[in-house]
Amino acid sequence: MNRKWAYGLAGVAVLAVAGFMIFQALSTSLVYFILPNEHAADPAQYDGRRIRLGGIVTPGTIAFDERELQLTFLVTDGLVAYPVRHSGAPPELFKESTGVVVEGRFDDGTFVSDNVLVKHTEVYVAEGDHIDLELLRESLK
Amino acid sequence: MDLSLGTLGSAASALALGLAVYALIAGIAGAVRRDARLQTSARLTAVAVFLAATTAVIVMQAALLTDDFSVKYVAEHSRIDSPIWVKVVTLWAALEGSVLLWAWLLTGYTAVLALTTPNHALRPWALVIMQGVQVFFLGVVALVANPFVVLANPPFDGPGANPLLQNHWMMAVHPVLMYLGFVGLTVPFAFAMAALITRRPGTEWMQLTRRWTLAGWGFLTAAIIAGGWWSYEVLGWGGYWAWDPVENVSFMPWLTATAFIHSVQVQERRRMLKSWNVLLIVLTFALTILGTFLTRSGVVSSVHAFGDGPVGPVFLGFFVLVTLLSLGLVAWRWDQVRDRAELDAAVSREGAFLLVNVVFLALTFMVLIGTLFPLIVEAVNGARVTVGAPFFDVVSLPMWMLVLLLMGIGPLLPWRKAETQSLARNLAWMTGGLVLAAGGALAFGLREIYPVLTIGLAGWNLVSLGLLLVGAVVPRARLTGRGLATTTMRYAFEQRRKVGSMVVHFGVVVVALGIAASSGYRTDVQLRLPYGEPVAFGQYELQALAPFSERGAGRVSVGVEVAVFQGGRQVDLLRPHINAFGNSSMTVPTAAVRYTLGHDLYLSVAGAVDPTADGVIMRVIQSPLVTWIWFGAVILALGTVWTLVPPRGPAPAVVPAGATGRARA
Repeated sequence: MNRKWAYGLAGVAVLAVAGFMIFQALSTSLVYFILPNEHAADPAQYDGRRIRLGGIVTPGTIAFDERELQLTFLVTDGLVAYPVRHSGAPPELFKESTGVVVEGRFDDGTFVSDNVLVKHTEVYVAEGDHIDLELLRESLK
Repeated sequence: MDLSLGTLGSAASALALGLAVYALIAGIAGAVRRDARLQTSARLTAVAVFLAATTAVIVMQAALLTDDFSVKYVAEHSRIDSPIWVKVVTLWAALEGSVLLWAWLLTGYTAVLALTTPNHALRPWALVIMQGVQVFFLGVVALVANPFVVLANPPFDGPGANPLLQNHWMMAVHPVLMYLGFVGLTVPFAFAMAALITRRPGTEWMQLTRRWTLAGWGFLTAAIIAGGWWSYEVLGWGGYWAWDPVENVSFMPWLTATAFIHSVQVQERRRMLKSWNVLLIVLTFALTILGTFLTRSGVVSSVHAFGDGPVGPVFLGFFVLVTLLSLGLVAWRWDQVRDRAELDAAVSREGAFLLVNVVFLALTFMVLIGTLFPLIVEAVNGARVTVGAPFFDVVSLPMWMLVLLLMGIGPLLPWRKAETQSLARNLAWMTGGLVLAAGGALAFGLREIYPVLTIGLAGWNLVSLGLLLVGAVVPRARLTGRGLATTTMRYAFEQRRKVGSMVVHFGVVVVALGIAASSGYRTDVQLRLPYGEPVAFGQYELQALAPFSERGAGRVSVGVEVAVFQGGRQVDLLRPHINAFGNSSMTVPTAAVRYTLGHDLYLSVAGAVDPTADGVIMRVIQSPLVTWIWFGAVILALGTVWTLVPPRGPAPAVVPAGATGRARA
């Protein structure tokens, strides 16, 4: 019987360590999906964290440096706009007023991205500043 | 009432469902009342169900191949100018069709089981379970997600299959392998349940299904690696595994099935782990259903969740039902499956198997948590999160190392209790292999912990395999006086299970090396390649020649020809391009890969091909030993096949059921 207890205890210990490791790793590798205004509301929360920032490419802000392969543009949700810098070519179908989700980190007010995903959205930014945030969130899913 | 393909297909699936319901009821009645005639009727009906389901599949293929857009599924997923192979595989390119395929394979397996399983006490109930699962799937086809719905106003043409699926022939193979695996693992589940119902918790159920289990596991393994290769060639980021929910849900049943095929051996040899084995196979089967729910219901978003609809909740319901019923059954029969034998010593074959089981279960738990966590977070505070690949890597890598470590020790340990002297000698040899391999890696300049550890453990495992083979062959050769080569050949043919498992483990080592090297040491850059000018990349010079565009069946490709030079000599011509299918606005960048044994050179067009520009921007990736993963997979598959081929000579007879089946005929 003693032996059974020993194995049981060993098993519980292994599971406890594994569980601890899992939650430790989870807390550090969660990637939040947010809109620019959500970041502006509480920038400290996302400081240095990897996030997925969603929004619309502000018309007239796209610039691409062919030599250095640096893509810059503004991403907006109608309330807040942030500059994005991406190392690499603009993906196909990337254009003004299209929905994008960029992955990366904020560095000194600029979002440094390593992945730009183009999303087809029904949200238009051209007429005025108002954007239906729920619709935007949903369409960037 | 005209006889369109749609009505014909609906009729065939309704007929299949009706027959399956009859077979289920007759089967239950026959099993409960031990009525051999009812049992036979249920068995023969299984064949009729299969024929009806086959008719449904043939009708769907006819509709796809003749572009019959009055059938909803064809109208929504096919297209006139697609090539024939795409039309054929469109059967499983979307949800309704893939459920039909799954159901059809299940009816096939059930029919084969009904005809070939020897008359054994477990057979009636095992078939009842198979029929029950079959009723569910055929019910989904006929009632919930009927692909044969007839459209009143059929369109002239459809949108075609999902571009990502059309883009690679692997899509013709990968899903079929996956479903063959899932369905194959339903068989041991059915027999386990039958064993509980009939109070025969011994090893019969696992011996009767050994081949089905191994074949199912082999198909699932092949499916997962084939899916990895598909991602590698199609998704354009030069990787093969992203811990995406769709990948994860196919991986979880694989993990539990792998644990299962090891722990059943403990029960066969030591009569231990009875309840554990039943629970593992329940878990495996339940996870295949849960996975389908998660990826088909849209609750977990994924880069390749193909379609959603009312099928999700139905699968969730079935998952809950299966889990409750089977766990209830285990609880009800608990004193039958309670272990009476005890572990004699932790350092023994069964000890190692038990430990590796715990590790596999922990891995399953990790994948499940990582996959479900976004749901939990969203439910708790509404935040939308994804769990990044780093989580899975950080948590799983130590466990994979443990798996490799145990894979080397386990097969060398004897059952019951290891003799310390021979164990110490073996461990010394293996540690030598580990130190040598890891030292070599360090001397070679590798510094990252996990690749170095993996290489070390590869050495450890190779020595272990060598010791196993030498330990088996040398005494035999000495005894018989035959040469070593002849003895090895004879041994390989006589001891297929042992040799097959060695080959599989060798395949695992090769795959592990491929994964370690390619994830630890890849170069991934974007380069601007001006036309006509060579650009240096590592040991290569890449020269973009000119853009091209071409038309295939239902497809337009735009790309760039890139000459690859090495040491001033052209060694390859790669054609990375972007495919557009039909009217779909979605385009698929299609990478071009130079495969070599040492490393792959992977080119993918970044952005767009602008014919007016004087160059193109290319994503260029070099990753070492990727091909080893695919080679290792082939070795793994061969090893699995080797264990499955029946040995020559009279097969060990299965204990007949005695009088139970025919008792009251």
